[in-house]
Amino acid sequence: MFRIIKKSLKKGIVTGQYPVSAQPVPEVSVPSQNKVTPFHRSLSIREVDTGSCNACEMEMNALMNPIYDAERFGIHIVASPRHADALVITGPVTFNMEKALKDVYRTTPGPKVIIALGDCAIDCGMFKDSYAVTGPVEKHLPVDVKIPGCPPRPSEILEALSALMGRKKGSKNRL
Amino acid sequence: MGDLNEIMEEIIKTFKDQILDSERIQGIPVWYIKKEDIPEIAAHIHKTPSLRGTLSMQWAADLRPMRRACRIYYLFSLESGGEWLILATDLAEGDRLFSSITPQIHAAKWYEREIRDMYGLIPVGHPDQRRLVRHEHWPKGAHSLKKDFPWNTVMKREDGTYTYRRIEGEGVFEVPVGPIHAGIIEPGHFRFSVAGEPILQLEIRHFWKHRGVEKLFENLSLINGVTLAEKISGDTSFGHSLCYCQAVESLLSVDVPPRAEYLRTLFLELERLHNHVGDVGAICNDAAYALALAHCSRMKEQIMQLNDRLTGHRFLRGINRVGGMALNLDSAQLKVILAETTEIENDFRELSNILFINASLTDRLETTGILKERTARDHGAVGVVARASNINRDVRRDRPFAAYGKLNIKVPVFQYGDVRARLRVRIEEIFETISIINRICREMPAGLISADPVKIAKPGEWGLSAVEGWRGEILCFVMAGKNGKIHRCKVRDPSFVNWPALQYAVLGNIIPDFPLINKSFNLSYAGNDL
Repeated sequence: MFRIIKKSLKKGIVTGQYPVSAQPVPEVSVPSQNKVTPFHRSLSIREVDTGSCNACEMEMNALMNPIYDAERFGIHIVASPRHADALVITGPVTFNMEKALKDVYRTTPGPKVIIALGDCAIDCGMFKDSYAVTGPVEKHLPVDVKIPGCPPRPSEILEALSALMGRKKGSKNRL
Repeated sequence: MGDLNEIMEEIIKTFKDQILDSERIQGIPVWYIKKEDIPEIAAHIHKTPSLRGTLSMQWAADLRPMRRACRIYYLFSLESGGEWLILATDLAEGDRLFSSITPQIHAAKWYEREIRDMYGLIPVGHPDQRRLVRHEHWPKGAHSLKKDFPWNTVMKREDGTYTYRRIEGEGVFEVPVGPIHAGIIEPGHFRFSVAGEPILQLEIRHFWKHRGVEKLFENLSLINGVTLAEKISGDTSFGHSLCYCQAVESLLSVDVPPRAEYLRTLFLELERLHNHVGDVGAICNDAAYALALAHCSRMKEQIMQLNDRLTGHRFLRGINRVGGMALNLDSAQLKVILAETTEIENDFRELSNILFINASLTDRLETTGILKERTARDHGAVGVVARASNINRDVRRDRPFAAYGKLNIKVPVFQYGDVRARLRVRIEEIFETISIINRICREMPAGLISADPVKIAKPGEWGLSAVEGWRGEILCFVMAGKNGKIHRCKVRDPSFVNWPALQYAVLGNIIPDFPLINKSFNLSYAGNDL
């Protein structure tokens, strides 16, 4: 017990110890921001992988670690699309995952904010036109926010989500 | 090694009428055999006690337009990953049947189904004739790796059904899970048959993420293939790019300078470090010990930020190239690496001491998800999973690549094959990795960091390489085509052989323990599905 407490005290608080994102924040259209308004300061996200290389997933996971701790901004990862306000979709949509993606979209309650994470989700990246890929997310679902990068760094994802949630840059509730 | 040569000579004598031709390519013996004789010879190599050949990879290549035939290769690793031996057999165009070796060698099971899906060649005598990669809605006759199948074909969805293996009886239930899982995980389908709590059977159905990687390689030149290799599996970006580079380098006979080899070793170990540290936390978290996850994900993030500062990419992408490295490190950066890894070593040692005195954690991990040594051997399991099941197999020591020949690696092996053994392999490897990084930083030789290819590969020539990524042995086969293009690139992620083994490790365990067992394997879906 004492070892655990000692270790925690020795490390102290690590939250926020990361370099600030140097990338421009993706633009969020007014209708998309209006979709998020009813959720106020919280956003429940369901992550759907439709064929990414797993790097985007790792960065989404990193958002939840003590250093980024996205929960402090009200961002939660939920286990079912039925609990989700927003879907984060990674990877080009593969021929095998297309139906599953549409099923998820159907079961998500409105207003369904769709976020395409990573270059593959935005324009299929290197997998463009492959026989096994049916196109970027945009071809199948209306996309609200695009977060570019291969993969985008967690700080960039956090910036983009903050912009979506309408937090002004430099305000107390942001980063 | 002398004994091995004698044994090989003996086999050649025994089968001298059946071996049509034999040669050595890149130092690997290749025997050409008639397709009818493959099962007998393969079984002999697999079962002879002095050889104990493990089927490491089986793949096909459409040789058109060079020759109007398909060739199937069987790669065996003799005596725990030492010497390689390749059997090859040709199927003339129009001949769609080959004899399955699965009844003799269990490890061939998925490979032969994969060949069937990608080439339309039928493994006669295979116990499982269902589709593997092509899901039920794929059109008939879409065999994507055949040369007459355009890479950008737009496929039409068709109707079809997939039959799962069923267990029937009173009180037997089926629990389907996936393809989309709770949490931030890749897609895959698991179907459990349970009676009460214990799992009677698990059937894993994958290839939801099939992106056509191997076909896309064929559009690229040998030199440019690296960028695609990095995207095979994100968490193993460097391991896959290194494996690809080495295969092409052996094909183009490039002599990689020593400094580049040390740098490659360094980055491969950094990749191993951040993944292993993350896994230790995740395994403990699945046993509801969130403290370990908090500390481990913090350390993992520290290493990834270090990666970012050193290379400009958190996953070490864009730094490998055919012939060496595209990026050099100066002595100040090496000092930073030394300081950071030493800090992490102390940090992690404190944490591992906390983990090992926690009785409730140990209770969850011990005897959970046992993979027996015999089962692991039958599947040809590799990497952490194999070493936790008493199989002493590590490419870094058995077939040294990059700078590993000079580093004298210690390989931790545990016997019990349970979740705790796999956790302990990872913990031991973390300390060994840090020690390797320290040695590299101190011994780094000076000099150039890349060399240019000296020869041009003729169509049909190939190179093969193995890399011990953090998950296990990665294999890459690259065959050259015309004008410096890739004719065929076969990649085998360690996940491809370890996934089927997982189906056996869960038997008799309860479903709530499945996430824990799955996490202790931590296999890639993207690398498996390609």
